Amino acid sequence: MLGSFTLLFLAALVSLALHRTKWLKPVALAAVLGALVLTYLGSTIALNGFENSEAVRLFTMILEIVLLALLLHEEEDQTITQTLFIAAASVALLQSHTLLTFIISFEAVSIISFVLVSHIKTPAQAEGAVKMFIAGAIATGILLLGAALYLVGGGKLDAPLALETNMLSTAGLFVMLLGLFYKLTIVPMHGWAADTYALVRHSHAAILTGLAKTVVAVATFRLFAPFLADHLTMSVPMMATLAVITMTLGNFLALFQKRIARILAYSSIAHAGYMLLAFAAVKSGYAYTGLLYMAIAYIFMQSAVFLLLDILRKKYDIQTLEEIKGLAKQNKALAFFFTVQIFSLAGIPLLAGFLGKAVVFYAGVDAGLWLVVLIALLNSALSVGYYAWIVKHLYFDESEKALEAGQNRLQMISQSILLAGTLFFGIFASVVFAAGNHF
Amino acid sequence: MNPLYLIFGPIILSALTALMGEKRGGTVRTIALLLFTGMLFYSLELLSLLPATGYLDLGSYLPVAQFNFELSLKVDHLSVIMLILTSLLLILVTLSSWTMKQATAYFSLLILFAGPISGVFMSTDLLWFFIFWELTLVPMYFLVGVWGAEGRIYAAVKFFLYTHVASMLILLAFFLIYKETGTFDITLVKESMLASPVLIWWLLFVGFAVKMPIFPFHTWLPDAHVQAPAPISVLLAGVLLKMGAYAMIRMVVLMMPEQSENFAWVILVLGLVTLFYAGFMALYETHLKKMVAYSSISHMGLVTVAIATLSYSGLSAALFEMIGHALIISPLFLIAGFLHHKTGSWQMGDMGGLMQKAPYLSALFVLAGLAALGLPGTMGFIGELTILIASIKTYGFWLIVVALASMIGAGYIIWTFRRVIYGEMSETVKKSDFGMNRVEFAALVIFALLIIGFGLYPSALFDVINSAFASLAPQGGL
Repeated sequence: MLGSFTLLFLAALVSLALHRTKWLKPVALAAVLGALVLTYLGSTIALNGFENSEAVRLFTMILEIVLLALLLHEEEDQTITQTLFIAAASVALLQSHTLLTFIISFEAVSIISFVLVSHIKTPAQAEGAVKMFIAGAIATGILLLGAALYLVGGGKLDAPLALETNMLSTAGLFVMLLGLFYKLTIVPMHGWAADTYALVRHSHAAILTGLAKTVVAVATFRLFAPFLADHLTMSVPMMATLAVITMTLGNFLALFQKRIARILAYSSIAHAGYMLLAFAAVKSGYAYTGLLYMAIAYIFMQSAVFLLLDILRKKYDIQTLEEIKGLAKQNKALAFFFTVQIFSLAGIPLLAGFLGKAVVFYAGVDAGLWLVVLIALLNSALSVGYYAWIVKHLYFDESEKALEAGQNRLQMISQSILLAGTLFFGIFASVVFAAGNHF
Repeated sequence: MNPLYLIFGPIILSALTALMGEKRGGTVRTIALLLFTGMLFYSLELLSLLPATGYLDLGSYLPVAQFNFELSLKVDHLSVIMLILTSLLLILVTLSSWTMKQATAYFSLLILFAGPISGVFMSTDLLWFFIFWELTLVPMYFLVGVWGAEGRIYAAVKFFLYTHVASMLILLAFFLIYKETGTFDITLVKESMLASPVLIWWLLFVGFAVKMPIFPFHTWLPDAHVQAPAPISVLLAGVLLKMGAYAMIRMVVLMMPEQSENFAWVILVLGLVTLFYAGFMALYETHLKKMVAYSSISHMGLVTVAIATLSYSGLSAALFEMIGHALIISPLFLIAGFLHHKTGSWQMGDMGGLMQKAPYLSALFVLAGLAALGLPGTMGFIGELTILIASIKTYGFWLIVVALASMIGAGYIIWTFRRVIYGEMSETVKKSDFGMNRVEFAALVIFALLIIGFGLYPSALFDVINSAFASLAPQGGL
């Protein structure tokens, strides 16, 4: 806890003083690299309320690798600083072990996300930011309501969740979960997500959907999984229903979008549905590994596609499927990176997305929910419709306008890092399985 | 040689060749040819190393102990025969796409295809099998979508979606198998008791039926065949469909024998329906390539009927017919594609009198056509005859109806000859120039030689094929 969190937090504070100097990016990168080394070495002094585990350590390392990619890509000083703040809060959130630390870290992540998107230049961005802020405020309210119920029912804030609880505190915990599901864009708490992800700057969206959402998913699962396993009769139908609704709605809405960012935003909602399947399958031992794998795959793929959209929008002013036509002939590297990550999202094997989905789905089968898994699998097949459609525009169509070639070297390095992650975890699964047993 | 090179080598190699740039197309083509030749020699070497029955263990890699999931590579006669067929077809496909446009991208995709297809036939781990199975879709998607005809995008997306949905059923079945047995190893599943075998059997059957394809899951294939460039049609018919049949034999029949016995009538009925339905569709077609595509489906129906016998002789016949079908249908596709390229038309009505203008090509077309309708002395005859015998032996004399399909086949093939090869020379044919690249012509000649060769000496092939199902052989021989 003290190791990488402290380093990232200090770096964030220092970076405030380095704005408009050439030192900002190197310092930020060095801090993240240092944090990565510290996490790898495992030098952690656990503070009260925080706890480390093998899964958390692995995921923190991956988070820091993705941060490297995000920082390499980013050119705006403010965003770099805010990314560092979010990173520090995320590390705290991942390690939080009691309800109090969880709520505080979660709110920290949320509030810095609001600050992040509030860097507004156009009315569209304002709309996205406001939607997110309102949804976030409601989510906080519900979360605190749930916490209050839990306390009234006899729960303690500064201790791990008590398993055998009375009606009131059980209800309180379920209410808390609903609040958290706002952040995870679970239907029907998803209303804000597609607009926000599509309207705010794409590199901000990469942080929101790629980084923050995954971190919240892992932390929530870590904290609540024992509780869900303890109340199977209530939790399984509820989670399974929400998962089915979320993935189906997300996929169907994605089918009808014209703007690439909206397609990917809805696909992100669908992926939240797949992740929720792990919540439903919590009694299976594979649910933990499944969620961890899904989160790892997701953080690489989703950050990569939104960063690529950022490049496309900034460099070529491309936003719709029509405009992306024939990109493969004009800019091979971009099209290649995009295609691989899209295929990973679609669940094509030898890429992380496939194994992530496979393990979550297997956890579902293992928990006896094979009908739900069948729906999820058919959903996954349906999603190939729009993913293949994007690839079709990239490769099979002719471009209508000439685009200038040439790449920004740092951004290509950043994409290569994310691609390497997607490939590595698509082939070498044993790392994740080893960590998944110690959640 | 480490077998992993055969699987992951092409995948890495294709990434490297893709970077070589459009000017180096010829080099990439040579690399592809060398790779596929190497593959052929390696598979022949495997054949010589195989034990008389059972598997040859090639080792296990990339273990995930917590999930009992590892890339275990084992081959038996069935898989080695498929490997040999695949590498041979890949060589011939390379030869017949000698003058393809955008050569670097095209041949690096072919190289990419070689990796997972070897994995499909070599892996005995269900999950890895599935991984390779899915991965073959990616190069095919691009090959159909970029190099295909006018309707290529519709065909490519339809192909991808259809087969992907089917794959999801297969994946669910594999998960259920793992849940109930705790192993992904094909060789171990057979012995273990499955708790829900009926569900698993149906999931697997439908999943593989789409790939084969069996009526009513066949609708993606005519589209894909017609829109794909001719060499890719060869790959679809010769390799992709065979994957379906291979998996049907290995995962459905051999892995779940009891359930297959219960549902043999389903396989038989669907096989017969496919056989006749596709046959009649071919009879009705005036579009040359669609005719060939439906005849291809009809022949896969024949394979399905043979699989439905679940017997030693039936499965051997099915495997022989699979190889025969690959060798017979490929030149038909290549010639159909060539005629379209030269005349600009798919309609048989626009052609006619081809014999006078391009005699050698017509002769090859006639030979392949006669093999397709089962003329004695060609592979087609042996295949159909053995299937007929095997199915009558299992199901009784009424299965003589299978022979009727052969008559329908004779109908559409001979009618096609009448319209395309013989008769008055049409205006279109008069105008067109039928000069053919020598390498492409050589590929056709090799197909012709193989068709006649195995037609006259079927025992050369049957010796190997019989070993594939030796474990099923009844005591005292056939």
